[in-house]
Amino acid sequence: MLQFDRVSLDSDTETLRAQVREFLEDNESHFTTPNSDFGTGHDPEFSRKLGERGWIGMTWPKRYGGGERTFFERYVVTEETLAAGAPVSAHWIADRQSGPLLLRFGTEAQRETYLPQITAGEAYFSIGMSEPDTGSDLASVRTTAIKEGDQYRINGTKIWTTDAHRNHFIICLVRTDPSATRHDGLSQIIVDLKNDGVDVRPIANMAGGEDFNEVVFDDVMVPADRIVGEPGNGWTQVTSELAYERSGPERFLSAFRVFVELVRACGPDPAAHEAAAIGRIAAHLMTMRRMSISVAGMLQGGKDVAVEAALVKELGNNFEKVLPEIARLAAPESAIKGRFRETFEETMLLSPSFTLRGGTREILRGVIARGLGLR
Amino acid sequence: MSEAQETRQIILDTAERMFGDLCDKQLLDAAEQGEFAAPLWEQIAANGFHHLGAAASGTSAADLYAFLMTCGRHAVPLPLAETLLVNNWREPDNGLYSIGIVDGDEVVDVPWGRRAEAVIAVNPATGAVCAIDTPEVVRQSVNMAGEPRDVVRLTSDAVPLEVADDPFAQLALTRANLMAGGVQALLELGITFASEREQFGRQISKFQAIQHSLAIIASEAAAARRAADAAVDALGDERFVVEVAASKARIGEAVTVAAEQVHQIHGAMGFTHEHRLHHFSRRTWAWRDEFGNEFFWQQRLGAHLANLGADKVWSFMATRG
Repeated sequence: MLQFDRVSLDSDTETLRAQVREFLEDNESHFTTPNSDFGTGHDPEFSRKLGERGWIGMTWPKRYGGGERTFFERYVVTEETLAAGAPVSAHWIADRQSGPLLLRFGTEAQRETYLPQITAGEAYFSIGMSEPDTGSDLASVRTTAIKEGDQYRINGTKIWTTDAHRNHFIICLVRTDPSATRHDGLSQIIVDLKNDGVDVRPIANMAGGEDFNEVVFDDVMVPADRIVGEPGNGWTQVTSELAYERSGPERFLSAFRVFVELVRACGPDPAAHEAAAIGRIAAHLMTMRRMSISVAGMLQGGKDVAVEAALVKELGNNFEKVLPEIARLAAPESAIKGRFRETFEETMLLSPSFTLRGGTREILRGVIARGLGLR
Repeated sequence: MSEAQETRQIILDTAERMFGDLCDKQLLDAAEQGEFAAPLWEQIAANGFHHLGAAASGTSAADLYAFLMTCGRHAVPLPLAETLLVNNWREPDNGLYSIGIVDGDEVVDVPWGRRAEAVIAVNPATGAVCAIDTPEVVRQSVNMAGEPRDVVRLTSDAVPLEVADDPFAQLALTRANLMAGGVQALLELGITFASEREQFGRQISKFQAIQHSLAIIASEAAAARRAADAAVDALGDERFVVEVAASKARIGEAVTVAAEQVHQIHGAMGFTHEHRLHHFSRRTWAWRDEFGNEFFWQQRLGAHLANLGADKVWSFMATRG
């Protein structure tokens, strides 16, 4: 059965937490969005400052610029920055998944090249998984990378590529063996987004943002040593990468600032239904945070967390959507104008994406069902 | 494994075997007809499980609550939560005890009050606790799961008791753990049924709709257990009451979701008296409302947070755990 052990952040993370809070207070001028969504605030200067403090790639080896710190310490930094509403999206993907992917599967040369730039807060990565005809069915990708001498020729289209217009690299899931089908013949390859033949076209989202894109690869030539790990190992790598993506505090804190503004709007002496709404939200968040920390403990112990991470994301994302609803119906009349309204509206407009990005609800339930032995 | 963890594992393995052997459908049906499960109680006492958590027992309060979670998973039809708390609040002995809530000159919702050798009355408003050593049952009653919840006279000679952690919150914590175990049972029943039942030529567990339903139940079961453990870990801490509030409120919601989903999976069969599912769904439904329902505890937690203020909310969330 799925087990979420009693893990708590050690008391030695408290000094770090205080340092992060002080840093965030000093850098409040960087905070431009009212919400705590990891995808909305893109600020290279802020990312570089975090890098200077050693708060990107914290768990990675020192020889690649990492801090050799624990997953719990990393947890503290991620949850503090998110809860404060700090602009973390520039370095987010590189820190959370591209770096760990390279660390686990990449070549030594790749680690030496990319990881120090990531930890400095200077190299930002996009994810090249989805395609126009490939959503949840990731094994149906069609983008090809065909070897020609010591290069690969890439053709195809990636989509929903967050920040491709301002990031430096994209790690694409491609077919290096077009004769193979489904999970075979797939590889991951690092492409410089400034390469010739890479065309990045913005896609406006319903919230008014333009952070995701369509990326077209038209005869893009990439050195063969940009293949991540072994050619043909792409499916194993990409599923492992997705597990990293799924269990962190970003999976239940996207709507956190709505909660904070609800508490502010209700004031120190709330009506019964207002207090109950606040308590209901808090009870969910407290429990999910502990489950998420349990997964951090499993990562620290080197365990496979695929199913547990999917479960945390499933619960967390669903609640991120319920939270604004509870808040909307409980908020006092006075909140119709002001900070509550602003935070609520921005979060509400982003909320459809919560149960889509990083694996849809339907995919996650499938992963959990497999963990229960039903598939 | 540490020594404490080993002790816990032995307790839980033994309890698991005992309940697996004795706590079957027949016993549950009989208990709901008012029959006291004497052989089961004797086995529990023979193993010393009625003293878990008591100072001289060599076990901890965390063992007590872990045991209750196992009791919930088997729908054990005895007032074990109450007997255990009484044995932790007073010098433990071998009696069967119960606890109820003061309501005027009565003590209400007393589990198995009719069999209890003493009844402890808790006044949630004042936190006052007193012991009634010769309880007189005024009325017999049951909750929606058919568990005896009797009314006992509050006598003037009741003896005041000092209890360290908030007694009402401790009672709520027993229900939180029973429910967490009960939701686990709902998940297991759902998986078993879906794997055995065939429709359209295959096990219904192969249908995506059923798989998703079970995934939802599994998520709620995992959340319930983590929430129960977190509140147990707060025993003795100044945050005990608010941690119990979060736990009981969260687990109550888990029951609502899991019970609804698991009944849908079971179809008409789960709606029959003959199937064992209802022993678990009715109990977990009833336990949601015992010692403060979700709304009650949400309000307590919410009032606490509102009082701290919006800018302290994160700090509260990020402390402990």
